[in-house]
Amino acid sequence: MERTATASARFLDPTVLTRIGNLEVLARNVVDGFLNGIHKAPYLGLSMDFAQHRPYVPGDDIRHLDWRLFARTDRYYIKQFEAETNTDLMAMVDVSDSMDWTSDDERPTKLDYARYLAASLLYLSRRQRDRVGCITFDDDIIEHVPPAGRHLERCLQTLERSKPRGPGNLKSAIYQAVAGLRKRGMVLLISDLYEDVDDVIAAIRYLRARRQDVIVFHLLDPGERELPAGDAVSFEDAETGEQVPVIPSKLREGYATVIGDHVEALRRALVREQVDFVTVDTSTPLDHALFAYLSLRARATRRR
Amino acid sequence: MGLGFLVPFALAAAAAIVVPIVVHLTRRRKSKVLRFPSIRFIEKVPYRAESRRRIHHWFLLALRALAILLIVAAFARPFVDRTDQAATAGIGPTERVVLLDNSWSMALGERWADAQELARDAVSDLGPLDRASVVLFARGADAVARATAEPIRLRQAIDTARVSDEGTAYGPGLKLAQAILEESELPARELVIISDFQAQGWTGEEGIVLPGDTEVRTLVVGDGPADNAAVADVVLNRTQVQGRERVSPAVRLVRTGGTEPREVEVVLSLDGQPAQAQTITLPGEGADGVVFDPVTVGGDAIQGTVSITEDVLPQDDIARFVLSPGRAERVRILTPPSAGERAFFVERALGITEAGEFDVVSTTGAIPSGEALENTDVLVLVDRALTGDETVRVAAWVADGGGLVLVAGERGGWGAGGAGVFPGALGGIEDRNGRGERLATLEYEHPIFEVFRGPRQGDFSAARFYRARTFDVQASDSVAILARFDDGSPALAERRTGAGRVLVWSSTLDATWTDLALQPVFLPFVHELVRYASGSTEAFESFTAGQVIDVTDARAMESAGLGQVAEAIASSEDRVVMTPSGGSTQLSDGESSHFLELSEAGFYEIRPPGRGDLRPVSVAVNVDRGESDLTPLDPEEMVAALRTGTDVASTADTERAMALRRADQERRQSWWRWLLLAAFGILIIETVISNRLSRATARSGHARVAS
Repeated sequence: MERTATASARFLDPTVLTRIGNLEVLARNVVDGFLNGIHKAPYLGLSMDFAQHRPYVPGDDIRHLDWRLFARTDRYYIKQFEAETNTDLMAMVDVSDSMDWTSDDERPTKLDYARYLAASLLYLSRRQRDRVGCITFDDDIIEHVPPAGRHLERCLQTLERSKPRGPGNLKSAIYQAVAGLRKRGMVLLISDLYEDVDDVIAAIRYLRARRQDVIVFHLLDPGERELPAGDAVSFEDAETGEQVPVIPSKLREGYATVIGDHVEALRRALVREQVDFVTVDTSTPLDHALFAYLSLRARATRRR
Repeated sequence: MGLGFLVPFALAAAAAIVVPIVVHLTRRRKSKVLRFPSIRFIEKVPYRAESRRRIHHWFLLALRALAILLIVAAFARPFVDRTDQAATAGIGPTERVVLLDNSWSMALGERWADAQELARDAVSDLGPLDRASVVLFARGADAVARATAEPIRLRQAIDTARVSDEGTAYGPGLKLAQAILEESELPARELVIISDFQAQGWTGEEGIVLPGDTEVRTLVVGDGPADNAAVADVVLNRTQVQGRERVSPAVRLVRTGGTEPREVEVVLSLDGQPAQAQTITLPGEGADGVVFDPVTVGGDAIQGTVSITEDVLPQDDIARFVLSPGRAERVRILTPPSAGERAFFVERALGITEAGEFDVVSTTGAIPSGEALENTDVLVLVDRALTGDETVRVAAWVADGGGLVLVAGERGGWGAGGAGVFPGALGGIEDRNGRGERLATLEYEHPIFEVFRGPRQGDFSAARFYRARTFDVQASDSVAILARFDDGSPALAERRTGAGRVLVWSSTLDATWTDLALQPVFLPFVHELVRYASGSTEAFESFTAGQVIDVTDARAMESAGLGQVAEAIASSEDRVVMTPSGGSTQLSDGESSHFLELSEAGFYEIRPPGRGDLRPVSVAVNVDRGESDLTPLDPEEMVAALRTGTDVASTADTERAMALRRADQERRQSWWRWLLLAAFGILIIETVISNRLSRATARSGHARVAS
């Protein structure tokens, strides 16, 4: 058991995952390995069993009409199943230019890591019968796959072809995304959050106002936490192209403090908003994030 | 003396020195750019500003700043300004003109060598801002070096100057100096006159007005008059003996200086061979004359000289002349067949000459035609009218150079073709009332009456005129009334037609209508009348050095006594001139090349090229005889007479002159070239050092990355 866990853990190592081209294969292996590793069947009481009828209203899918009841009562009723009561899970993945960066060529970029993470989480949720959807964004919505029971493949394809194309703006993107979130659900926000804390909180509040449970995965590369040593270099902003000549060795301490303060400020603010916040280091295996997700998911279910 | 800048405002560009400093401080290292997700947190770190403002390579910065300063200084055109030095010395930029007398009297003793030395001294102390001119003057003036600051050029001009054969005339030299000084923009002007200051070259009426601030210095060479004997002039007295022309050279000798009588041998040479010699004793400060025995003149011109024993001034000890055969004016007098006595007085008057000046033919026939008319110089018509045909022929002959004197009388007149040839129209006979009229107005400026101009030179007022023809003179530029009666009516009028001239006398030249023929002035009047009508002038036996002759003007050459071949020489396109010093010059019909300047004393010979059978024309040239008079002039008298005008140089002119002088100094020093070279050298050094430093930095960076 221990050997299996070790093997699985190694397989979940981000540097190993970069060698797998297919995101679906990657997600299945990650989740299956993860689940095998924990040796606990995740039964969350979800099924496809019939739950109730409700009157038809225009706009409902006519495939769900109960024709036999119509024959008996001459009225239209829609069949509702147990599965439909499960959560809509929407993964919002930041694909801005700042995500396309890694401090080590052996490691995946933050965007790649976000893809793996989103794919794994969606795959895991789908196994739990959740309806899954995804949104890729930078300062605008790039692609939107609405949550549905069979949208996992579309989501995986969407994630797979997503490419960075410009600077990010979380607030703007979420303002547009909420228009498609009509039902109560859960939003997994995966981003490096290079935003002002106030802007992040404003965006999160917008989601919360739409009855969305939000889990924020804050991705950070190790190189972002600590500047490299060395003589004068010019740092070029990945999103704006602006360059700043600095001597990193003179800047390291101050920078670490600033970035640490930023993360801490985010944590405190999000906690105040009752939003789950997970800081993910792209050098750490994915199971850490999955564990965090499952525990938070369970907590959210209890809250509900 | 101090550092000056020709373009001082260019120094403002020195502000560009901040460029390398700013570049140094703000330049980003392009060699190493690190992409980073976001710099928003880096920019919040306060250390950044300090890092960028640090100067790493002070030496490179200093090199770049120095290069900029040198380039700026080069464009400001620096130079060592010696203007102040000159101003401190109280001189200021000076325009100096050195007038150097090179008349032939300067050849006396050491005068010329002394004068050259003084001239060298005069240009040797020129300041850096001064300019000088060297003007040689004798009869004329020549600026051999004009307004230059180059001492070498000035010295060269002085060293190559030679004594001329011309006499002294201060006027042209001073005029040229005045022009140079007036043209100058320099604030100070100076005129240096170096001469033996002969009094004969100064008239006191030169009218020189020098610029107001001109300082005049006179440097005298020579030590006053020397004992000098000179051939003052030679007069060739011509006589006709048995149809042959004989010439008696009369020589006048003058001695200046000396107290004791001196024996002088006077030698007459013809064609280079001594012909006669006489010895004469000349008193101190005196003059005497010698008349040689008559010499028969043949058909060709003879080169003759009269020389005396050489003394301190050999130039004036010889006189040259060309003895040409004289030619009588061919006069034809025509009268009507029945009135031959009307020409009696004229005929007799023309026959009375010493040297047979007039060859008179008197006829009563028709106007001669063809060659007979062409061989006539003057046609005198007394009381004779021209028919229409005759008028046309005479008009053509006059246009070709003939001279016509028409004495009106009762019948005088001309035909219809006379318009444009004769000066007007003759009318009827008019009786003068009472005691007759007199000649009231005479044009004494005219050559005919010029000899009567002076007092007791002829009294025309004694002559009475009782009758004359009315004479309506045409108003024209070519027509002139030379004499009028009391009532203003014309007595004598002239019209120039082509190369000839027509004179019309409205009365008679006998004793019928006037008693002029009985007056003493009659004979010279008739002589002058006919002489003027012929167009001939007195022949020159010799010229004075400095004169110019036009070798293309046949009449001028012939009247100047240049022989019968003058026509052939004048009509040819090219002439070869042999100068007295042995040189040869070719004169063609160019714009000014047909003028021969007789600058050397001696015999010039002019001939057409390749015409060996034609004897060349000889031209005798003597030095200016007046130059023999070495009587000095007080230089102070000349300086006092040189009036000074207003100061022509304004303050603006002076400023402009100073600016020009500064520009000249800067041009000669040309420091800007060296400054630019230095700047480029520094930039090359800076580039090399900078590249090495960059490579070293890059190597250390790689090493850190590798580690």
